[in-house]
Amino acid sequence: MSESEIRAYAQGRGFHDQTLTRWLGWERTDRDALGELASGLKIGENHLRDMMDWLEDTASRDHAKISQILATKAISDLSTDPRLGRADKVKRIKEHLRRLRFPRLAQTEDEIRTRIQSLKLHPEIRVSVPPGLEGGRLHVEFTATSATELLTIAGKLRAAAETSLAPEIFELLAGTHREKERE
Amino acid sequence: MENFRPEELIVEHGSESSRIYANLRRTLPQVPVKFVDDIGSDANTHFAHRDPFGAAKKKLYLTRYKGDFFKKCPGSDGQVCCNYFVINFASNCPMDCSYCYLQEYLLDNASLKVFSNVDDLIDEADRTLQKHRGVFFRIGTGEITDSLALEPYTGMVRELIPYFAEQLNVLLELKTKSDCVDSILDLDPKGRVVVAWSMNPQPVIDLDERGTASFDDRLVAARRCQDAGYRLGFHFDPMIEYRGWEADYQTMLEQIFATIDWHRLSWLSLGVLRETPRLKRMMRERFPHSRLLTGEQVLCPDGKMRYFQPLRVEMYRKMVAWIRRAAPTVKIYLCMESRDVWQQVFGFAPACEKELGNQMAPVD
Repeated sequence: MSESEIRAYAQGRGFHDQTLTRWLGWERTDRDALGELASGLKIGENHLRDMMDWLEDTASRDHAKISQILATKAISDLSTDPRLGRADKVKRIKEHLRRLRFPRLAQTEDEIRTRIQSLKLHPEIRVSVPPGLEGGRLHVEFTATSATELLTIAGKLRAAAETSLAPEIFELLAGTHREKERE
Repeated sequence: MENFRPEELIVEHGSESSRIYANLRRTLPQVPVKFVDDIGSDANTHFAHRDPFGAAKKKLYLTRYKGDFFKKCPGSDGQVCCNYFVINFASNCPMDCSYCYLQEYLLDNASLKVFSNVDDLIDEADRTLQKHRGVFFRIGTGEITDSLALEPYTGMVRELIPYFAEQLNVLLELKTKSDCVDSILDLDPKGRVVVAWSMNPQPVIDLDERGTASFDDRLVAARRCQDAGYRLGFHFDPMIEYRGWEADYQTMLEQIFATIDWHRLSWLSLGVLRETPRLKRMMRERFPHSRLLTGEQVLCPDGKMRYFQPLRVEMYRKMVAWIRRAAPTVKIYLCMESRDVWQQVFGFAPACEKELGNQMAPVD
């Protein structure tokens, strides 16, 4: 993708000048690799900026080129997967890049998610953690249409809280799980 | 530590009769001096440079400060505050740390300035301290400059210590990454002055704290201050997470506690690397290869990026455990952290900033 094509793409999607300047400031192979991906998936500015942040940091940390990261099989598979729509492709590629950029955060999120799933909660109970795990709190949300249903949900929630999984989730949120592992 | 040699000393008319000017002329005799009516336009010449912030550190301005010297530390939105006050007798710093928040905070006003009207500073402090005798003031001088880096040239702190040493409701904190303590060792701080070092292991200093004193030199200077009767503090801030950080920080703490009598430490603080997204962009421009850029930081509610919470809580808990092993009762606080983080690290959080501030008061 040439510089003029990148300019046209950015202009067509109303990108801010600083985003375009930053993109054009990359080495040509890196710039073009992102250009191919962006134009193929019609990626908007906000998504592209996140991806640029993560790509720059990952490349710097791993002493790799951005074009090498974008040429990996994982990215190629996602961007060409016929089962995925355009928005899903962008979403999955972003998540892949985020996981590359934040491997330990992603691992901690996975460990928490696995434990939440293992709690096998009532479908009316939704458990989530804050973005980036900031705040250290577990969000629990449920709805009920009757007192009986409320009692049932509360009972299942209590049962879940009494398993060994619940403290493990909070230890993961508090960064103390490795202390336990060492003990 | 490198000697400071500005390319030029620019003096605003009205400052040439000050003691600070006399000190600068005596200690920097070879530096050319220019007198100006108003430093305003001259102080912006660094903007033409490719690295304006770096260029701003190369000229030294001497001017009268026209605003209020005495301010409440702004802290950070929603974070537990330590009820700190600041007095700014200079602006910017001759050192150049990769993570320095002044790169953003002083972006439009980056010239390196020292304020000549010390008597006004003392008068203003005196009015406040006299009016509020029942309030305990912890006052810092290192918010927008290093408290001691310019001391060999300006003699500023030497002017301040005799006044603050006499105040019963004050602890004056001099926060530094330098080893410039020679000129204050013969003064009697009377228990009212804390000299505090921002400490990091030597590998962090080598990569990201340009122009500062080495770890060993900071520690020697701290010991000399303790021997001279000063209270000491250490700020492990910003803590940097990297492969092998645990061994480096643990060794650093062992060296500190082998050198310093911890019973006479006023406080230790902990804080992890943090920056706004804008500052991160500036760091990327000025120090594109710094490993600080690639830590696993996320955006926190106060608009600053920090290592994600479980990671930084783990760092704090380890540091607290290593400190407690050597110094079981020393006061430790977290800088710019939420109540949630305090709770996870210590098992409690201060009820209010007054509580935390009072905990820092000297027990005489």
